Amino acid sequence: MKVLVIEDDRTVGRHVKRGLEEHHYQAELVDDGLEGLRLASGGRYDLIVLDLRLPSMNGLEMVRTLRDRGTTTPILVLTAQDAVDFKVEALRAGADDYVTKPFAFEELLARVEALGRRPKEIRDPVLRVGDLELDTATREVRRAGGTIDLTPKEYTVLEYLMRHAGRVKSRTLITEYAWDYHFDPGTNIVDVVINRLRKKVDSGHARKMVHTVRGVGYVVKG
Amino acid sequence: MTTIRRRLTTWYTVALGVTVVAFGTLLYLERRQSSLRELDQRLGLEADLADHWLSESYNVLGRIVATQGLNRALDPGISAYLEAVRDYLVVVDTTGQVLALSESARTLTAVDLELLTAPLDSLRSPRESGTLRLGAPAGAVRYFAMRVEKAGPEIGGVLVATSARQVAFGPTELLRSMLFIAPMVLIGSALIGYWLAGTSLRPVQGIMDEVEAISDGRSLHRRLAVPISGDEMSRLALTVNGMLARLERSFDSLHRFTADASHELKTPLQVLRLGVERALVHPGVPPEILESLDETLAQVNEMTELVESLLTLARADEGGVPLALEQHDLRDILSDVAETAGMLGEATGLRVTSAMPDSPVTMAVDLHRIREMLLNLVTNAVKYTPPGGTVGLELDEADDAATISVRDTGIGIAPGDLPHIFDRFWRADPARSRTGERPGTGLGLAITKWIAEAHGGSITVTSRPGRGTVFSVRLPRRPGVSALDVAPDRR
Repeated sequence: MKVLVIEDDRTVGRHVKRGLEEHHYQAELVDDGLEGLRLASGGRYDLIVLDLRLPSMNGLEMVRTLRDRGTTTPILVLTAQDAVDFKVEALRAGADDYVTKPFAFEELLARVEALGRRPKEIRDPVLRVGDLELDTATREVRRAGGTIDLTPKEYTVLEYLMRHAGRVKSRTLITEYAWDYHFDPGTNIVDVVINRLRKKVDSGHARKMVHTVRGVGYVVKG
Repeated sequence: MTTIRRRLTTWYTVALGVTVVAFGTLLYLERRQSSLRELDQRLGLEADLADHWLSESYNVLGRIVATQGLNRALDPGISAYLEAVRDYLVVVDTTGQVLALSESARTLTAVDLELLTAPLDSLRSPRESGTLRLGAPAGAVRYFAMRVEKAGPEIGGVLVATSARQVAFGPTELLRSMLFIAPMVLIGSALIGYWLAGTSLRPVQGIMDEVEAISDGRSLHRRLAVPISGDEMSRLALTVNGMLARLERSFDSLHRFTADASHELKTPLQVLRLGVERALVHPGVPPEILESLDETLAQVNEMTELVESLLTLARADEGGVPLALEQHDLRDILSDVAETAGMLGEATGLRVTSAMPDSPVTMAVDLHRIREMLLNLVTNAVKYTPPGGTVGLELDEADDAATISVRDTGIGIAPGDLPHIFDRFWRADPARSRTGERPGTGLGLAITKWIAEAHGGSITVTSRPGRGTVFSVRLPRRPGVSALDVAPDRR
């Protein structure tokens, strides 16, 4: 799948391009609005990631121009403005979705996946790590056949760690995912959630699922 | 507005009242003066007639005074004619002795008669008029005295007088009608004045209404309609329009500033973020490095939070942060926050309780903002409550509003600090900086207050040092507000 990234800040652009490539997208980067418009109009891309603030052209104008020319390629807009009315304006102009700067790469990736035209893999709604199961459809968690009762936040954190099983997630990344960066707990709330999860998931089982990586964060692995 | 109208009416009525009184007084005095003149003319005429009669009689008869012993009097044949005069009439000889009296003059007492003849003794000119005060019942009289010169050596003078009661107190009729008419005129003019003031102030009211509609900060491009009359109102409208144009320019530059600042501040944060994140998820990075990367990410988040709070407040000052209102059950938001509060409390050894109604409390609110507000309040409560204390969340519903209270048994806020806690960057203890044991941006409560007010509500705080603090947010139901047509923010 080919993605066109139109972003005037080269560092941001490079990070986005490289991140997308690591997730097996073909990404191309342009930093100029007019050049971007020329490339985007060609219809050679499956998705356009567009920074709304470009040197030679207003991003909103560009979205309108593309839609007026009949380009139907999905457009994901990057904006530094988080005002509600601005987002509404972007969507009205013809953008399909937006991400507010500064965004987490995972968030961008999730939107790109959602807008991507590639046929959706039929993803198993049940996440499995060893004998631990989490059903994202029914929000049920089971281990070795027994149901585990979780509060909403406990569920969110466990789902995040299971989705990235085997990869260490830092406290900040976990806080950010389960709350958002507007939330500054001032105390290590993640440790509390992990302790609770340990009690519910691991107690009574010889094999521990939730592991601490000292000073860094946590990982779920079988 | 009403006060200016009332003041104008009052001044108008007072001015008119003074005019009416002055005019009435002048009219009254003038009328009195002219009736005095008329009276003097009449008396003068009668005196002239008496003088004429006496002179003619003397010419014909040669002698008109008869002496009976010591008493001297006018010849009865002549005095009979004078007796018929209805006013007081006195004829005296050159020594001032009375020679004849009219019928009415005879009714006077000796004292009054003495008083009445006094002016004849001291005539400084041949003819003289004046006012005398006699005893009751005659009272004040107007007299006319003159020397009689052609009626022989014995006749000295003649005086005619009549009651001046009619003129002394002036034309009572006039006075009465003035006392009756003046209040009516004043009441009428007050009503007309009130109406006139209202009419002339109506354009001002119109301008005020228009300015009010414009000054919400989002309609600054609008201008007042300038009346073509070219009078004070059109000058006022022109002046206000000039001011609006200047305001619009400064708001525009503020708007541009916040947009530019958003971009200029957030792009470097974005670069930092993506870099740190990539390093953080890169396999094979040693744990020590990961730890400092995570700290960097936390700082980036804090910085981002600070930038966004500042921009939000800047836009709020400008009146330009619309809310994404949607119908939500406040109980869901509260449960969610209560769960987080419970976790925060567990970390620092606090008990967290929550109480809410059994039925849904559904209102049009901005979910993210309300949650941000409540998280700010509970984070603060947890931060300032020592281990073993309690933090309580409470939701109450009334007909027209919902109230959310966050109560703690913490260190409390000093009374002197209470008025400042919602100020931007305000801290109770200046030494408690970002690196202290209770860090924060210093914008949390300012944002919290803004969120409550943006929802049409209010936030109040009561606190007792050492005992605890209660923050109460009142969110009114606003019938006119419906959920904005906005794609939900999935952040």
